[in-house]
Amino acid sequence: MSYCVNCGVELGAGAGKCPLCGTAVVNPACPPDSAAEPFFPTRREEVAPVSRREAGLLLSAMFASVTVCCAVLNLIFYRELWWSFFPGGAAVMLWVWFALPLLCRSLSPWYRLTLDTLAIAVYVLLIAFAVHGLSWYFRIALPIFLFVTAVCPTEIWLLRYRRPSILTSIILVLLTVGVLTAVVELVCDLYISGAWRPGWSLIVLISCAGLCIPLIVIRRVPSLREEARRRFHL
Amino acid sequence: MANPGTPWYRMDNASVMYSAIQREEYSAIYRFSAFLHREADPDALQRAVDRAMPRFPGFAVRIRRGFFWYFFEPNPSPGPFVQPDSADPCRPVRFGEDGGWLVRFLYYGRRISLEVFHALADGAGALVFFRAVLAEYFRQLGEDIPADCAVNLDEEPSRGEIEDAYRRYAGKVSRRQLGIKRAYQDLGTPEPFYTFHVTMGFVPIAQLKSRAKELGGTITEYLAAVLMHLLLQKQAQERPRRQLPVTLGIPVNLRQYFPTETLRNFIMTVQVSADPSLGEYSLAELVSLVRCQLRLHGSPQELRAVMTRGVRLQYNPLLKVIPRGIKNLIMLRSYPKNGVRPYTATFTNPGYFALPEPMARHVAHMEVVLGQAAVPRPHVSAIGYGDTMEITVSGVQRENDLEREFFRFLVREGLHVRVESNRL
Repeated sequence: MSYCVNCGVELGAGAGKCPLCGTAVVNPACPPDSAAEPFFPTRREEVAPVSRREAGLLLSAMFASVTVCCAVLNLIFYRELWWSFFPGGAAVMLWVWFALPLLCRSLSPWYRLTLDTLAIAVYVLLIAFAVHGLSWYFRIALPIFLFVTAVCPTEIWLLRYRRPSILTSIILVLLTVGVLTAVVELVCDLYISGAWRPGWSLIVLISCAGLCIPLIVIRRVPSLREEARRRFHL
Repeated sequence: MANPGTPWYRMDNASVMYSAIQREEYSAIYRFSAFLHREADPDALQRAVDRAMPRFPGFAVRIRRGFFWYFFEPNPSPGPFVQPDSADPCRPVRFGEDGGWLVRFLYYGRRISLEVFHALADGAGALVFFRAVLAEYFRQLGEDIPADCAVNLDEEPSRGEIEDAYRRYAGKVSRRQLGIKRAYQDLGTPEPFYTFHVTMGFVPIAQLKSRAKELGGTITEYLAAVLMHLLLQKQAQERPRRQLPVTLGIPVNLRQYFPTETLRNFIMTVQVSADPSLGEYSLAELVSLVRCQLRLHGSPQELRAVMTRGVRLQYNPLLKVIPRGIKNLIMLRSYPKNGVRPYTATFTNPGYFALPEPMARHVAHMEVVLGQAAVPRPHVSAIGYGDTMEITVSGVQRENDLEREFFRFLVREGLHVRVESNRL
């Protein structure tokens, strides 16, 4: 039998190293018995993942059924308004949100997020079409959706793959929120009065910038950064 | 309690919770293994299982999904079939797969293992079942095992074996468990699905007993104190701004206070806590602390009051009419608050597993493995057999610092420790 020189525990006859600290067994009097049967099995067995495809197909069928039923009803009741666009559009949007990820497991998160946002855009387009509001749709809703669709996946890509520090991530998110509010107000102002009159969005933008300043200082000063890292276990 | 005239029966208080927090990647599973003196024979084991299952209707069930609750119903599927063991024990169960069986029998080399979904039974109940299967297994190999060595498989199962003892013993006074405070969380890095690390230490019981006695405690109290001591040290090394209490969840077998025949769940977790903001603790002080708190919070009155609260919640008419999906979601969401954050780790010791001599001569040692926790942190379990105490540290976390320090500490205490692990 061998003992770990670091831990002092007795090791199994076949152990080539200590399972606690990884120290190799070097015992000329009793070398590891490589022919000994391992104490635990080495055969790995994965648990098969639950079938999501069936769940996705079921959800798709449910949403399709709702859409078709509402469309048929619309031909009979309240024919003056295309009200079936509301439940139908909602069904399409919910399908993109919930059923599509089940059917396509390999959908990347930012691609999924883009599709989710576009689904909302399409839903709002249907509502706009039904209530004859295409003007506000193209001049307010669509620019905001396009901006969100461009910014969110980019930011997720940055956070996921560039792996910035937590402080940088928080700064990025705060600045994005600030800029997003400014864009929303800009688009609304242009639609209503034809000119940009910065107001409430400026307060949000300045607040976000104000929150970022101390974080940037901590990020830039090594001693502060180390202290924060130690205190918050980052 | 089983309903007269119906083959299905309600879940008990603990089963409801374990079924509700079940997820694709998590199940409350535990395992008992018998390490024999000779190679396990899968054919004999299968024959023994086939013969034992009808005698234990509480284990031969599957989960039926009702609109308001889950239920147990007799499982008509063939099986359970014994299967070769794999590197990662305590794989999650899926209610709709593997014939709906909630128990597994596995074999590897000289080891025979039983894995049980915790909704079925607690450790004490599962050990009665396992002993009967082992006795029958030895009989199938031609050994002369008298009928009184384990539960007689020719007898009719008694109704008391599947009684809901929580409901039977629920009293008039209902009380929330005291001291649910946020505890220090010793979280590690989770391994990819599904990897489960198990490290076992084998310690002579006589040495453990002697050391525990020196410090004025029992083996359970001593091991719990060692675990707390190491977790307190670990937290101090992390230098947090504010140190949180280190709290162990120690399941208590309620049968010692409330007699019952039931093989289903009848346990309650008692919190044992050390607050580092009060100062440093020596090991002897921790043993004393564990001893006092186990007696204080493990008193029959307090246990009954907490048990009553759980039973009243389960039978509350308003809660009864909430659909199962919503109830499960609420329990799943509240579990981190009530079942994870108040505990640093779980330590369970089902006690000494005694076998009569005709069976004992075939078994080298016993093992227990507590399945994965809901978060990546270690679980510690121990079982005594013969002159060996087997202690298992298990979990899905990559880091092995707690188990390393735990067994090193026992060595420094002068105990002989043999270690085996499935970490490669």
